[in-house]
Amino acid sequence: MKKLLYLVLLVAVAAVSSCKQDQYYLYNDIGRVQFGPEPSRIYTTSYDLADTLKPYTFYYEDAAVKEDTIFFDIYAIGGTTKTDRAFTLEQEQIPNAVNAVAGTHYVAFSDPKVSKFYVIKAGTVHTRVPVIVLRDASLKTSTPKLKFKIAANADFQLGEPNKIWRKIEVTDRLSQPAQWTASFTQYYFGKYSVVKHAFLINSSGEKWDNDFINNLYAVGGLLSYYQLTMKTALINYNNAHPGAPLVDEFGEVVVFP
Amino acid sequence: MMVVVAMMTACKKDHSNYDYKTGEKITVKGIESSYTLISELDRLTLTPEVSSTEPNAQFEYLWGIYETNVQGSAPVLDTLAKTKDLNYLIKQAAKGWVLVYRVTNKTTGYSQYINVPVNVVTEFTRGWYVAKDDGTQSDLDLFLTPTSIVPTGKRENLYSSINGSKLPGQANLLSFLSAYKSTVTGTLGNTRTLVLSTDKDVATVNVNTLKKIFTLDNLLFDAPTVKGPCQVFPGGGSAYYLLNGGNVHSIVNISANIGKFGGRFLKDANNTPYSLSKYFISNTLSNAYFFDETSSTFFAIGNGYGTALSSISDVTGTAMSASNNNQKVLYMGLKSATYLPSPALRYVFTGCAVFQDKSNSSNKTLSSIDIDGYTMKLTNTSLTNADKLYNGANMTLMYGQENLMYFSMGGNQVWSRNLSNNFEKLEYTVPAGEEITFIRHKTGAETNYAYNYIMVGSKINGTYKIRMFNKASGSISGSPVATLEGTGTAKDILYISPSVSESTNTIQW
Repeated sequence: MKKLLYLVLLVAVAAVSSCKQDQYYLYNDIGRVQFGPEPSRIYTTSYDLADTLKPYTFYYEDAAVKEDTIFFDIYAIGGTTKTDRAFTLEQEQIPNAVNAVAGTHYVAFSDPKVSKFYVIKAGTVHTRVPVIVLRDASLKTSTPKLKFKIAANADFQLGEPNKIWRKIEVTDRLSQPAQWTASFTQYYFGKYSVVKHAFLINSSGEKWDNDFINNLYAVGGLLSYYQLTMKTALINYNNAHPGAPLVDEFGEVVVFP
Repeated sequence: MMVVVAMMTACKKDHSNYDYKTGEKITVKGIESSYTLISELDRLTLTPEVSSTEPNAQFEYLWGIYETNVQGSAPVLDTLAKTKDLNYLIKQAAKGWVLVYRVTNKTTGYSQYINVPVNVVTEFTRGWYVAKDDGTQSDLDLFLTPTSIVPTGKRENLYSSINGSKLPGQANLLSFLSAYKSTVTGTLGNTRTLVLSTDKDVATVNVNTLKKIFTLDNLLFDAPTVKGPCQVFPGGGSAYYLLNGGNVHSIVNISANIGKFGGRFLKDANNTPYSLSKYFISNTLSNAYFFDETSSTFFAIGNGYGTALSSISDVTGTAMSASNNNQKVLYMGLKSATYLPSPALRYVFTGCAVFQDKSNSSNKTLSSIDIDGYTMKLTNTSLTNADKLYNGANMTLMYGQENLMYFSMGGNQVWSRNLSNNFEKLEYTVPAGEEITFIRHKTGAETNYAYNYIMVGSKINGTYKIRMFNKASGSISGSPVATLEGTGTAKDILYISPSVSESTNTIQW
């Protein structure tokens, strides 16, 4: 009988102690801040890491254009406050890469020209983060990378580790637009190359930049139209150059899938 | 201890409802099973009687309407009134709608829904449309059929009077697309569209208003380098095809599109030049089939997809290859479509063509064409001068009915040829001086508007006549049911009504 009592007690203790709330980090201890997709995509999980890298080129711009602004979206988590809250950005050096130089390739994050915008306004949880890139002569021959991250300050601690950084690749040469995505590569126009990009521009008279590619998706049927007409243009080019098909900078024959 | 716990949880007070009273029934009287109304003219005036089996029922009402044949978005119920009776001026675009009447007993919360189809029409949404030209420009005439399939009135030159000018070129086929995408209502949606094609241009026309939507200059994503001859017709998989100057373009209508045709299909990986015949085999049940006059080769396009024409393989025993057969097509069309049972579960086509040998133009062949996907078998019958068909013109097939071909001879005779036994028969002779310009067989099954006509178009002194004949066992039966007359030369005719869709009649020569 005594054994049975011990057994019941053991089961009861096990039952009571087996359920315990997991210590999830609720981010409600203090205001935190992290990057994210544009607001319309904030609840779409597949866009969680969108805009991590934004390539930019001055290639299409008039020679008089000496700087441009690239925007990212940033979100405060942990609720709103009644006062404005500033956040801090800082560059992170990338090993074995050409890193952008403040004042040469971009306006330093501490420069009031941009730092004054690094604020989550009272009563809000979102703002757009401007990063000003500069058209330095070196961009004609190089593509420096600017990786930057959020630094903790008096107003904000850091958000999720994989959402506290962003990267820009800036150049003055033709470069892969951000919208030339993996799916754009796989389903429509194949592997990116500068030669292919220039061919598309020359054949169509269009820029094939982010806006143009976005419009391809927006206008029903337009993407298929360009797929077919650019494929035709490439065939015609290769027919006009027997034995010398269009070859890209990697030494590979340019193809459209 | 365990027993005590079990006993404490086992007993629970039963709060179930055992009142098995008969459910409430709300009855609505005074609403028809369907309505046909003219937009911006007719009022929907309804005074229904409403009663309930609940003695103390307190009703509230809601009238709403939503459109049918919507693609790419969910239909939205537009509230018309919250009163018992309805007195509403119909403003909706001409197409199919559903009127919803909801009666709710506020006491019990029970609601009864009445759903009634409403066909909104305009004066242009019903009648016989005739594509015609004056030798250099084309137009549309409409023969009105307010009460039966036999016309009682006429509106001439409607296309030019509404759009300000005629369409350049001589008229070709007239076709109808029921789900063509346009923004004529302000938002992108399915638009019932008549397509007037000529040898120089093409116009998509909103059948509700007869206003043109696009012409060849803006019907493609870029300006065409050649202008005509044009044909537009539907194919399987909700594809639409445009033939322009021997090139083919498509719209994949189940994908997002704005009513513009895509790029020119390639023939192969080398972009070898081609020139497709104006004759084709296509309807909404399967692939579209074309004949390249340059290489004398059949090609297919499935569901409008792809960047290149698909080649056709020969079936063992074919009398002539589908590829490089050194023929010119004098006529080609679709005779029947057959649905194969499981496990095939697909349509196969039987078509018919008249070929002329490129090397020896006196050699002509009548071919029966059996098509299954991307394979083809041709069964040939040589034609000689003894065959009336040898010198025939204006050929046409009777899709889905008798195994007959109709054609004209000598400009004024209508002949039929039995494709099973090659028997040829003079069916009709138009009066002296008239010259036959087309022959068509078309059918419709709409209640009070059913028809199964062989129609013969002819011209004389700058005017046209279209005689509409009933058919009996494949032959023309008696005198014309009606003869449509107008100015110019008629090239095609098509009946349009709210119930007509792009699959009602196979578009072909």
